[in-house]
Amino acid sequence: MSTVPTGVRRTAAGRSRRTGPLFVAPFLVFFVLFLVVPLGWGLWMSFTDSSLTGRGDGAFAGLANYAEALTDAEMWSSLGNTAVFTVLSSVPLVVVALIMALLVHTGLPGQWLWRLAYFMPYLLPVAVVWQIWLMLFQPGQGPLNSMLGAVGLDGIGWLTDTKFAMWAVVLVTVWWTVGFNFLLYLAALQAVPDHLYEAAAIDGAGAWRRLWSITLPQLRRTTGLIAVLQVLASLKVFDQIYLLTRGGPDGSTRPVVEYIYDTGFTGYRLGYASAISYVFFAILIVLSIAQFRLFSRREA
Amino acid sequence: MPGRSTSRRALLRGALFGASAAALTPALAACGSVAGAVSSDADIQFWHLFSGADGALMQNMIADVEKRVPELRPRSTVLEWGAAYYTKLAMASAGGRAPDVAVMHVSRLAGYAPGGLLDPWDLDLLAEFGVARDELNPKVSALGRYDDKPFAIPLDTHPFVVFYDRDVMDKSGLLDSQGKLIPLENPENFLEAAAKLRKDTGKLGPVVGVFSDTAQAWRLFWGFYSQTGGPFDLSEKKPRVDEDKMAKVIDFIKKLTAPDCRTMDYPAAIAAFTTRRSPFVFSGEWESATYRGSGIDLGAAPLPTLFGRPATQADSHTFVLPHQDDPDPARRRGAHRLVAEILTSSLTWAKAGHVPAYLPVVESKAYAALDPQASYAPAADHPALDPQAWFTGSGSDFQARMCQALQSAINGSASTGSTVKKMLSEIDFFLSKPNPA
Repeated sequence: MSTVPTGVRRTAAGRSRRTGPLFVAPFLVFFVLFLVVPLGWGLWMSFTDSSLTGRGDGAFAGLANYAEALTDAEMWSSLGNTAVFTVLSSVPLVVVALIMALLVHTGLPGQWLWRLAYFMPYLLPVAVVWQIWLMLFQPGQGPLNSMLGAVGLDGIGWLTDTKFAMWAVVLVTVWWTVGFNFLLYLAALQAVPDHLYEAAAIDGAGAWRRLWSITLPQLRRTTGLIAVLQVLASLKVFDQIYLLTRGGPDGSTRPVVEYIYDTGFTGYRLGYASAISYVFFAILIVLSIAQFRLFSRREA
Repeated sequence: MPGRSTSRRALLRGALFGASAAALTPALAACGSVAGAVSSDADIQFWHLFSGADGALMQNMIADVEKRVPELRPRSTVLEWGAAYYTKLAMASAGGRAPDVAVMHVSRLAGYAPGGLLDPWDLDLLAEFGVARDELNPKVSALGRYDDKPFAIPLDTHPFVVFYDRDVMDKSGLLDSQGKLIPLENPENFLEAAAKLRKDTGKLGPVVGVFSDTAQAWRLFWGFYSQTGGPFDLSEKKPRVDEDKMAKVIDFIKKLTAPDCRTMDYPAAIAAFTTRRSPFVFSGEWESATYRGSGIDLGAAPLPTLFGRPATQADSHTFVLPHQDDPDPARRRGAHRLVAEILTSSLTWAKAGHVPAYLPVVESKAYAALDPQASYAPAADHPALDPQAWFTGSGSDFQARMCQALQSAINGSASTGSTVKKMLSEIDFFLSKPNPA
C-alpha cells in the first residue's frame, strides 16, 4: 500500500510521461533520420531504375529489378559465397572461442597474458589486419609459404587460387574476431556457480563429466547468443574480403554485400543494387527469426 | 521528494542548454573560417588522384603555378585512385557539388561524357592562356573528344613499358651498339632470349608482378593483344573478339611467367628488379623514379613488338570539367588557366616518368636529355587504350575481373581455353547490364 497521496502521484506520473520521451528523443531522431528514412528510401529505389550518376531518369520500374535479381547468376553465386563463408567461419568462431575460454578458465598460469593475447587481434582495425595478412600470404617468398617450403611442401596461392582463397579469408576472420566470442564465453564461465562443481566432485564426477554435464549446459544461453550474433556478422562480411581479394580470384570469395557495393557504386545502378539489398535483407530476417525460434525453444 | 525532482529538472534544463551551446559553437566557428583562410569563392577546386612520387611532383607544379600567377588560387584535393575515385567524381557531378577541374583517365570518358557528367573545354580560352590546339598530342587529344567536343585535355600518356639493366643485358648480347634493346620479333624469339639471359646470369629472367594488383595482368595482355591487330569490339550485345589471338597471347604470357614469376605480386617484381635478381621487368613507366633510385644502369623501351605491329597498353591522365549546372565564369576561366599553366610546365611531370602530352615539352632538348624517359616516349605514338565501353578503363571493375581470369591462367590453375571462356563470360556479364551512364 502506498502512503503517497494520490494527487502527488498523479503529477509525478504526468511529469515522467513528459520527460521520458524527451530523454529518448535524441536517439529517436537519429534512428528515424539514419535508419528508417534510408530504409524506406532504399525500398522505393529498388522499384526504380535510378542511377548513381543521376542520369538515369529514376523512372518507376515496378518489379523489374527483383525479377532481374532472381535470374542473376552473379547474385546467386555471391549469395552462395556468403553462405559458404558463414558456415566455414561461424563454426570455428564458436568452437575455437569456447576451447580458448575453457583453456584459460581452467587455471593456466598467467591468465592476464592469455586473455590479452586472445583478445588483442580483435582490437586491430581491419586495415591493419589486412596489411599483416597480405604480408603473411605473400605469394612466392611470403612467411607462410616459406614455412610450407621448410617442411618440403609447395607454396600455396593463398589469395590467388580459387581452391584456397575462401579458406584464407576464413583464417584471417577467425584470427581477427574470435577474441570477442572468447570474452563472452569467459564471462559466462566465471558466472557458473562453484557449488555445482563442488557437488559433482563429491559425487565423484571426473573432469569430462563435469564439462559435459555442468559447464556446457550452463553455457547454453551464451552459445545461443554467440551463434546468433556470429551468423549475422558472418552473413554481412565485406571489409576484410574487399581488402584481401576484392572478391577474387574469379569471384570465388565475392560476398553478396560486395556484389551490392559493386553494382551500386562502381556499376552506378542504385535501383538494382537496392533490390538485391532487399532480397538479402529478407533472407537475413527469415534466418534471424528461425534462429531465435530455435534457441528460445531450447531454452524452454 | 521535491528536492530531487527540482534537481532532475535543473539537470535536464542544463543538459539541453549545454547541448544547444555545443551544437552552436562549431557552427559559429565554421562561419569564421569560411570567411577566413579555408576557402573562398575565387579558389579553383582541383581533384586529382596522384600520390607518391607523382603526387609530390604535382604538388610542386601547383605551388609553382601559385607563385607565377598569384591571382589563381588552386586548392587541390588528393583522392586515392581507383574505382572509389571515379564513384566520388560521378557522385559529385550528379549531386551538384563538383570541383572546378579534375583529373580523369581518358579511358573512363565513355562512362562520363555521354551521361552529361562533364562539361566541354573551351579550346580558344586555352589558347589564350598559351596552349594551342595543335600543341597537344593529337592521338590522345582525339581520344578525349566525344560528340565532336573536347571533354578531356591530356596531360600525359602513361604506357606500360619494359625496364632493363643495361650492364647485364649487354653482356648477354641483347643490346645494339647504341645500348638499345635488339628487336625481338616474335614470342619464340623473346622466350629464347629470356632463356639465354637466365643461363648467362644464373638469375631470374624477365619478371612481371601480376598478383595483388587489379590491372597489371590486363595491361600485359591488352598490350600484346593489341599488337595482333585482332578485334575487341564491345559496342554490341555480343562482343566481337578473336579468340585464337587471345589464346595465343595468353599462351605466351603463361610461358613468359612460368619459370620466374608464376606467383609474383606487384611489389615483389619491383623488388626483384631493384635488388638485381632480375635484369628485366615489365612495368608501368610511373615506377621509373623507383628504378632510377636503385643505382642500376637503367634502360627502358616500349613493349617489345612480338605480335606483328607496335602497340603498348597505355592510358592518359587528362583534365576534365565536372558538370556544373551554373558555372561561375571567372572560375571556369581560372580552371582553363590552371590547366594551361600545368601543361606548359610539364617537363616537371616528365620527371615522374610520364610522357607529356604537351608537344613543345616532348620536343625540347631538355626532354631528350631525360634518361630513360626519352627512350620509351615513342610508346605514346601507339597507345592501346582499353576497348571503348562504359564499364572499361583504368580503375574499372572490368579490368579487375579480366585480371582475375588471367591470374588463374598465370598461376597454372586454369587452362588457356578456359581463361578465354572466362574472360568472354565476364564481358557478357557487363554487356548484359544496362548502361547507367
